[in-house]
Amino acid sequence: MPEAPRHTLVIEGLHAEVAGKEILKGVDLTLSSGEITALMGPNGSGKSTLAYALMGHPKYKVTRGRATLDGKDLLALPVDQRSRAGLFLGFQYPQEVSGLSLSKFLWTAYMQRHTAENADAETFGKDLDTHLDYLGMDPSLLKRSLNEGFSGGEKKRVEVLQMATLAPTFAILDEPDSGLDIDAVRSVGETVAKLHRPDAGILVITHYQRILKYLRPDRVHVMVDGVVALSGGRELAEELEAKGYDWVRAGSTPAA
Amino acid sequence: MSPSTSEVQPLDYTRYDFKDPETYKVRTARGLSRAIVEEISRLKNEPEWMREYRLRAFEHFLERPMPDWGPSLDEIDFDAYTYYANPLAEGETKRKWEDLPADIKNTFEKLGIPKAEREFFGGVGAQYDSGTVYHKIREDLEKKGVVFTDTDTAVQKYPDIVRKYFGKIVPYNDNKFSALNSAVWSGGSFVYVPPGVDAGIPLQAYFRINAKNVGQFERTLIVADKGAKVHYIEGCLPVGEEVLTGDALAPIESLTEGQEVVNSDGVATTVERTMVRPYDGDLIDITPVSVGNAFQLTPEHPVLSVPRSDVQVSRRAPPRTTGVDRKKLANARPRFVPAGELRSGDFLHYPIHRTARDDPSLGTPELTVLGYYLAEGVTRIINGGEAVTFTVPLDEPEHVDDLAGAIRAITGTPPWVSPQPAEHAVEIGVSSKDLFTLCRWHGGTSAGKKQLSKVVMDLPPEKQAVLLEKYYRGDGNTYERSGTAHRVSTTSRQLAFQVQELQARQGVYASIDVREPFEETMKDGRRISHARAYTVSHPRGTRFRAVHRVPDGFLVPIRRVRRTPYKGNVHNFHVAGSNNTYLVKGFSVHNCTAPVYSTNSLHAAVVEVVAEPYAKIRYTTVQNWSKNVYNLVTKRAHGYEDSLVEWVDGNMGSRVTMKYPSVYLKGRGARADILSVAFASEGQIIDSGAKAVHSAPDTSSKIVSKSIAIRGGQTSYRGLLHIAKGATGVKAAVRCDALLPDDLSRSDTYPYNEIHEEDATVTHEAVVGKIGEEQIFYLMSRGLNESDAIHLILMGFLAEFAKELPVDYALELNRLIQLEMTGAVG
Repeated sequence: MPEAPRHTLVIEGLHAEVAGKEILKGVDLTLSSGEITALMGPNGSGKSTLAYALMGHPKYKVTRGRATLDGKDLLALPVDQRSRAGLFLGFQYPQEVSGLSLSKFLWTAYMQRHTAENADAETFGKDLDTHLDYLGMDPSLLKRSLNEGFSGGEKKRVEVLQMATLAPTFAILDEPDSGLDIDAVRSVGETVAKLHRPDAGILVITHYQRILKYLRPDRVHVMVDGVVALSGGRELAEELEAKGYDWVRAGSTPAA
Repeated sequence: MSPSTSEVQPLDYTRYDFKDPETYKVRTARGLSRAIVEEISRLKNEPEWMREYRLRAFEHFLERPMPDWGPSLDEIDFDAYTYYANPLAEGETKRKWEDLPADIKNTFEKLGIPKAEREFFGGVGAQYDSGTVYHKIREDLEKKGVVFTDTDTAVQKYPDIVRKYFGKIVPYNDNKFSALNSAVWSGGSFVYVPPGVDAGIPLQAYFRINAKNVGQFERTLIVADKGAKVHYIEGCLPVGEEVLTGDALAPIESLTEGQEVVNSDGVATTVERTMVRPYDGDLIDITPVSVGNAFQLTPEHPVLSVPRSDVQVSRRAPPRTTGVDRKKLANARPRFVPAGELRSGDFLHYPIHRTARDDPSLGTPELTVLGYYLAEGVTRIINGGEAVTFTVPLDEPEHVDDLAGAIRAITGTPPWVSPQPAEHAVEIGVSSKDLFTLCRWHGGTSAGKKQLSKVVMDLPPEKQAVLLEKYYRGDGNTYERSGTAHRVSTTSRQLAFQVQELQARQGVYASIDVREPFEETMKDGRRISHARAYTVSHPRGTRFRAVHRVPDGFLVPIRRVRRTPYKGNVHNFHVAGSNNTYLVKGFSVHNCTAPVYSTNSLHAAVVEVVAEPYAKIRYTTVQNWSKNVYNLVTKRAHGYEDSLVEWVDGNMGSRVTMKYPSVYLKGRGARADILSVAFASEGQIIDSGAKAVHSAPDTSSKIVSKSIAIRGGQTSYRGLLHIAKGATGVKAAVRCDALLPDDLSRSDTYPYNEIHEEDATVTHEAVVGKIGEEQIFYLMSRGLNESDAIHLILMGFLAEFAKELPVDYALELNRLIQLEMTGAVG
């Protein structure tokens, strides 16, 4: 088998603020293709801010630092171009768009990143069927308005479905497990693991160890107060589950 | 060489917002007076009752003050308008399309009317200013007793029905503009469907205002007798702006923003915005004499061309058989013609790319090597080092010397030359990183991917001539010696089109032919599969006979035009894959344009609808008036026992629109369904709404109003829900949603509820929404640019309305909104 192309997403010294308040205080993080990375940490530690800042949410201002995807400066790009460059964000609270069917939305988004030469409707349709199957989703959802009236679980699955459709180089999933029952966590976790390609990387933001059982992350990082305070392997997640975040707070050296 | 546009007529931007020469057979003096009203009646040879009705209405009009409760109408100067202008003599309404004067026929053909008649509708009426120029109904409907004619004719031919209903639903003294209409009305549709008859397919009418300061005051009366059913559609569509934004799905979908393309003057320009949309309808397949240049696009997409009829020797002979007058052709000015109107034999304009940028690093040796590389060159890694090898036919030693010399000049070392007798060829090779890079950079990587760099494509034509010469020489398929044609074959589609373009710059039009992939079995049993190949060829020494050289390009005749039905994104997308480059280089993409007149026009119609017991009527309107029109319309229906009246009313365009379709529910169990949409942009006020007046028990009404205001436009919902004493068991639901994508625009809601029965079930919802930053961010995070994201949100908002429209109208709506959004953001 030929080796999958390598990609890296490098975040260096990232500072970001929301409404004038600094939330990220120098995040350093490197993601590599082929790996699943978990980002944990207490509420308010800046996990979601990091996700939004990377995607380019207008309310999140990056004040210092860099973020590059294979050397390409992500922060210089508008949101849509970050997406086309290969970045994906699975939202914790996805938006609803009335009257825009899920299928039309998926197709439109898919078309955005394929040239006429390399995309075709048949593949799109087949893949979509496969992904719906993985996620145990009812195809009738495709005809409904995007996220409108969807249950919490359906919304999370739709995020994963979008990730599957767009096949990003790096996907950030912001709490894909929040608000889900045990079965749903498992189905989402297993699907994400199944969809993980050797040439792509995934960053999962979560509070809980539960979903990581299925995702089996290669690395675990813990954010505390706007910086990555602790990094380790999969066992770190278990340790956190047992000891709580206070243990990290106590043990971490504050950022200089 | 400076680009000259003198040969090309600019696009007729006013294709729909256009105006025709004002030639009228009958026209009253400007302004309004009792004498004018009498003259109109006299011209129409009306019965006395109608003349008196007009005069009574006129008196009321004079007395009645302007409405002061809505948008300002101060700019309306009633004396500035012409109240009656008819291109035909009165009573001259045509039943046969061919009988219409050419200019009017053109106008409506541009609007797609005859097509609509053929394909979709049971009957079609067309009104041009005051005159109804055309009315036709399908014979089978006529036999069932369905009447569809203009109202003037109806007054003469069906006086009993007209007298029974005319002015009874909308009395002349209802409002100032109903009084005006009642005084000066002309044209409009009259529909009568006899008891129990289902008219089935929709009847459709089009209206347009052509002349400056001519008012249009049509009067429409629709009666569905007991148990009858009819769907009537009126359109004032489309303004051409939206269809000219370049909706050639094929090229646009394959382009990206910032990409360089060549416009119709042969000058480089860049793509600023790309769009994708679903499509349901015919695509036009155009195959020029050069088969490989076939392309598809939507019927309305403008293509720069010279119609054969412009340059024929004789006008009388049929187009296919007539020769072309060379002198006429030499002076012909290409113009933009919608693809749907192109015919075989018409000439397409193929511009020559003019941009030239020299690059001194590419001299004769480099171009020589590149030429041979295109023909039979391979870049490879030999013993861990970069190398390039070439295969040259064995019996052409001069080519070997030529190539070897060039390689030596670049690399400083002589190449190895190794005869390959089995292949009847000589292999020439050199290990050189520089040459390896040169070939891959400027000539592409492998056979199917051979492609010239932009640098090469932009070189001055003299340098490109060197490259072409070597390429043709090196290519095994050159038939130079046979003396018939120059040609090269390649499996790279890109390269074929590039060579065609390079030849054009040499003043030669080369055609592209396609050989489909096939497999063959050799004598020794080996099976060889051949990829799809493209042959670029031109007759030796001269031009392609059918192709004509013009100063800035070529006129290439069309061999075949076909229509292929397509539906949905899927095919639309598939189409895109088959033809990108040529289209981009061949035809330019247009932006939108300005309206027609600076002074305003007035449209004051009255529509009366009667649904007798058990009848069903749907009245669909999609209007997109020019932005200088005051559109003040009174629309009202009376619904009797168990009848259903549906208004589907879309209002776009106009300076000011005031329109409140109403249903008076007068019989037990009558139902009303009113769905209205307003879209107001800069400088526009759309004041619309609905009225449901319940005067009988067990009646129900549903009102849904949707409005969008952008760029400082204003929309208002003004609605009345009236439930009379005695009307028990009424159900009524009102929902009005407004969407404001920006902070400049405005939307107001003025609901009036007068409810005199306590048992009524009434719901009322009103929501004014903004398109949230979060929503846009969400869609953009999936790769959609900001304006596409907003467009999707807007179309989603209108989906409920769009799905009620015939497909053509829904598409126009989509395109209009896309157009209006252009530049509204970012």
